[in-house]
Amino acid sequence: MKLWRHYTVVGLFVVSCAGLVARVVYLNVTQREFLQQQGDARSIRFETLPAYRGVVYDRLGEPLAVSTPVVAVWTDPSLTRFDATTLRALTEVLDLDRVALERRLGAQAKREFMYVKRRVPWKKAEQLRALGLEGVFFQPEYRRYYPASETTAHVVGVTDVDDVGLEGIELSFNDLLKGQHGRKMVLKDRRGNTVQDLEYLSAPQFGTDLTLSLDLRLQFFAYRELKAAVAVYRAVSASLVMLDVRTGEILALVNLPSYNPNDLSNNHYQGMRNRAVTDAYEPGSTVKPFTVLAALESGRYRPSTLIDTNPGYFRVGRKLVEDRRNFGVISLGEVLQKSSQVGIARVALALDERAVYDVLNRAGAGAYVGTGLPGESIGKLSDRGLGNPVMRATLAYGYGLAVSPLQLARAYLSLATFGIRIPVSVVKQNDPPKGRRVFDADRVGEVLDMMVGVTEDGGTAPKARVTGYRVAGKTGTSRKVGSAGYDDRRHVALFAGIVPATNPRIVMVVVVNEPQGKNISGGTVAAPIFSRVAARTMRLLGVKPDSPVSPSRSV
Amino acid sequence: MSLVRFATWLLLLVLVVASGLQVARTSQEVRSLHVLREQAQREQDEHLAEYSRLLIERAALSAYQSVERTARDELGMSFPEDVERIEP
Repeated sequence: MKLWRHYTVVGLFVVSCAGLVARVVYLNVTQREFLQQQGDARSIRFETLPAYRGVVYDRLGEPLAVSTPVVAVWTDPSLTRFDATTLRALTEVLDLDRVALERRLGAQAKREFMYVKRRVPWKKAEQLRALGLEGVFFQPEYRRYYPASETTAHVVGVTDVDDVGLEGIELSFNDLLKGQHGRKMVLKDRRGNTVQDLEYLSAPQFGTDLTLSLDLRLQFFAYRELKAAVAVYRAVSASLVMLDVRTGEILALVNLPSYNPNDLSNNHYQGMRNRAVTDAYEPGSTVKPFTVLAALESGRYRPSTLIDTNPGYFRVGRKLVEDRRNFGVISLGEVLQKSSQVGIARVALALDERAVYDVLNRAGAGAYVGTGLPGESIGKLSDRGLGNPVMRATLAYGYGLAVSPLQLARAYLSLATFGIRIPVSVVKQNDPPKGRRVFDADRVGEVLDMMVGVTEDGGTAPKARVTGYRVAGKTGTSRKVGSAGYDDRRHVALFAGIVPATNPRIVMVVVVNEPQGKNISGGTVAAPIFSRVAARTMRLLGVKPDSPVSPSRSV
Repeated sequence: MSLVRFATWLLLLVLVVASGLQVARTSQEVRSLHVLREQAQREQDEHLAEYSRLLIERAALSAYQSVERTARDELGMSFPEDVERIEP
C-alpha cells in the first residue's frame, strides 16, 4: 500500500536529477561561451606596461630630456570607501589636501577609476605600498625631466602628462622616442586586487635615445647673451641660430621669451613658440650680399666697380629710396660695407628682372629647411611682380620677402660653404652631408671678402668684430608692418655673420624683435651679441685664428 | 591477453598521474617565475630611477653656469677677454 509513496519519491528524485543534468548540459554546451566571457569580463584585466622613453642628449652627451619612473596612485571609488586612517595615510604621504580629496571622491563616487595622484615619486609610492592600504592601486608611469630647462626648451619641447610629445623634438621624434608599450593579462578579485599574472603578452620595448646636434655650452651662452640684450633693449623677443659650416648641424638655437618645460602649470603660452623657426621677418639689408652676388654673376660688376649714389636718394616709380646720408660715388664693396640702399637698388635695377630673386631662391629663401622642428614657417619669396621696378628695388634690400631666422642662417650657410647648399639638421650627423653647388666658389669668395668690410672700420658693424678672427657679416634693420603700412617705431634688428671668414666654421644669425631706444640698428643691437657669442664659440671649438694678432710677448 | 591489458592500464594510469604532477609542478614554476619577473621589474624600475636621478644630477653639476661660477668664485679664474699671442 505504501509502495506508491516509494515510487513517487524515486520518481521525483529522478526527475529533479534529470532536470539538473539537463541544466548542466545546457549551461556547459550551449551557453558555455557566453558564461566564460562574462566570467572573464569580471575578473580578467589587461594592464599596460609603460615603455621607458628615450633620453635626448646634446652632441657631447649631456642629457636634455630624461624620463624617471614615477607612479600613478588610483582607486575605484565605486567599490572602495576609504576609512579615516587610509585617508590620513594618503594625504600625509602624497601631500594632498584632505578636504579636496574627499570632495573629489564624493564627486566621482559612481566612477570605477579615479587618480588619487599622478607622477608620485618612486620612493613615496613604495612607502605607500608598504602600508598595504585597501583599495589603493599603483600604475607605473614615467615623468619627463629637462635638466637644461628653458635654455633648450624650444628645440627639445615637452611631453604631456601621458608622456606624448607636444612640442619640439619630443613631438617630431615621438615615434622614435616613445618605444612600445607592453601588455599583460592579470586575474583580479572582487575588490580589484591582482590575484595572479596570467600571461605576459608583450614586454615593453624601450624608446630609442636621440643625440641632437646642439652644443649645450654654446646654447647656454647664447641664451644668456640674448636674455641680457632683451632686458637692455626691452625687446619683444629675440632669436639666435648657429650652424656648423662643415656639417650643416644646428649648434645653438635660442629664443626669448622662453618657458620652463618642467613646470607648465602657470604657463603663458607665448613663450612656447619657437620663433627662430616659426616666425618670418622681413630680413632687410641682410639680403644685400645676395644682391651683390647676383651682380657678380651677371659679369657686369666687379667688387671695385663704382656706383654713383648721388644725391643720396632717388625715386623708383612713386617709391623714394634713400640713404642715411649721401655716400657719393662708391665701389660695390663699399655699397655693401656702408649698406647703401640707393647703391644696391641701382645695381639691382641694372640686372635681369629675375637675377636677385634667382640667387635668393638658390640660397633657399622661401623654402622649407626641413630640420624636423615642428611648425616651420616657409617664409615668403615670390617671383610675382618682378616686372615692377619697385618690387625689384625693394627685394634688393630685403623688403617684400620674409624669412625665418633659421632660413636666413641656411641662406648664409650656402655662402659660408663657398656656394654649396647642404641640408640643415638638428640631429647629430656622423658623416658630412652631401651638398649641391648653387653658386660659383670664386664669386662667393669675393662676396665674403666684401662682407668682411662690414665689420671693419667704416662698416656698419664694427661691434660684430671678434679679436683674432675675420668676421664676414651683414647688418639689417627692417621696419615692421603695422596697421597702416610700415611702422616707423617698430623695428627688427638683425645680424647675420660667418666666422672665420677665411675658412668658415660657423654661421650665426641674431634677430632682436622690436628693441626700444634711440639707436636700435642691427649694428648696435644684434652685432654685439654676435661678437660675444662668436668669441666664446671660437674658443670652445678651438678654431684657429685667421687674423693676425701682433705678438705681445715671446717665450 | 588479460595481463597485457592490465599492463596497458597500469602504464596509462602511471602516465596520467605523472602528467598531472607535471602540470602541478609547471604551474608552480610559472608562479615563482612570475614572482621573479615582478622582482626584476621592480629592480629595473629602481635602477632606472637611480640612473635618471644621476643623469639629472650630473647635468646640474656640469651646467655651464655652475661650472663658470665655480671657476670664477672658487678657483679665481677669469675668462681671457683679450687675445694674446705668444710666439715661441
